[in-house]
Amino acid sequence: MLRTGETGKREATHSPWNFVVFSIGGRRLAVKTLEVAGISPWKPSIPVGSRTPFITSVVRQDQAILPVFDLASFLRLHVQGNHPLCLRIKHPLGDMVMCIDEEMPVLHTLDPAAIQAYRGKDISAEGSYANGLDEIPILALSQLGSCMK
Amino acid sequence: MWVVAENDHESADMSIQEQGISVPSASSSARFLIVTISGRYLALDTGSVEGVLTITELESDEDPAIQGVIDRTVSLVMQLGGSDVSTHPTTRVVMLADREMRGSIRVNEVHGILEIQQSQILPLPPQFSGVERDWYRGMILFEKSIAMILNPTWVLQMHAGSDAVQERETPRSSVDTWAIGVSNGRTC
Repeated sequence: MLRTGETGKREATHSPWNFVVFSIGGRRLAVKTLEVAGISPWKPSIPVGSRTPFITSVVRQDQAILPVFDLASFLRLHVQGNHPLCLRIKHPLGDMVMCIDEEMPVLHTLDPAAIQAYRGKDISAEGSYANGLDEIPILALSQLGSCMK
Repeated sequence: MWVVAENDHESADMSIQEQGISVPSASSSARFLIVTISGRYLALDTGSVEGVLTITELESDEDPAIQGVIDRTVSLVMQLGGSDVSTHPTTRVVMLADREMRGSIRVNEVHGILEIQQSQILPLPPQFSGVERDWYRGMILFEKSIAMILNPTWVLQMHAGSDAVQERETPRSSVDTWAIGVSNGRTC
């Protein structure tokens, strides 16, 4: 876990953190590489009329049926591009997918010392890092589930 | 019997058979009537399906019991979203029964009966935590999509509060009777 002291700096370790950085509505977000199950072209989702906030449809990937977490709506953004991508993430309750911008996600390695507490309130994050003037949140995927309820 | 697919047989149309997940067992099979409402595949356990008729057939039937079922036509639009099923003479109505409750739903299309193994019924992902857990009994891989298995109890309970239970004979003895009369080239 990240330290949330005044310095906002995580205690240094020697193991770098690996992230996948993607964007939704042009906003950049990060998830830990170990929590990414795959990236593929987005296929139209199948609505199920769910009342669970932000989880109202599923997608089929081969023999699996995966719930869709509508992160774009959660952040009040719109996915950009004519060919959005499907980010499959690992979640404690089972894999989920999210529709993300067509901009290809990139791998990013960061020294733990560069990770700080996320100051935003809009989404659960394990921390963040600075990219120029931007603060890129590192999503706490397990907590995404708890905020759906 | 009109069956669009069985696990024991190859079918070019049905990707459901690609699963190969379970060992076929006759004792654990389940049969579903696959319909479309607002472009979505829905599966109805044939045990809860009393028959399928067109609007024209329903209107020409003088059986008061059938008229009662028509009066209890449930619209799933509010729950499932999409647009309501338009009413044309050829629109099909699926008559449902669950315990002592009876009612019907209009559907856009009837695809046929799918027989699968119980083990091929997939649970609703646990991330779905709302009332929808009462709406569905699971999911089925169907063609290149999925069919949500409707809970007939939930469907019919939408009318249970306002309608008296009407005891009567079923309008058709079984869905099999209806199936014989339907042909859209998908019979196998």
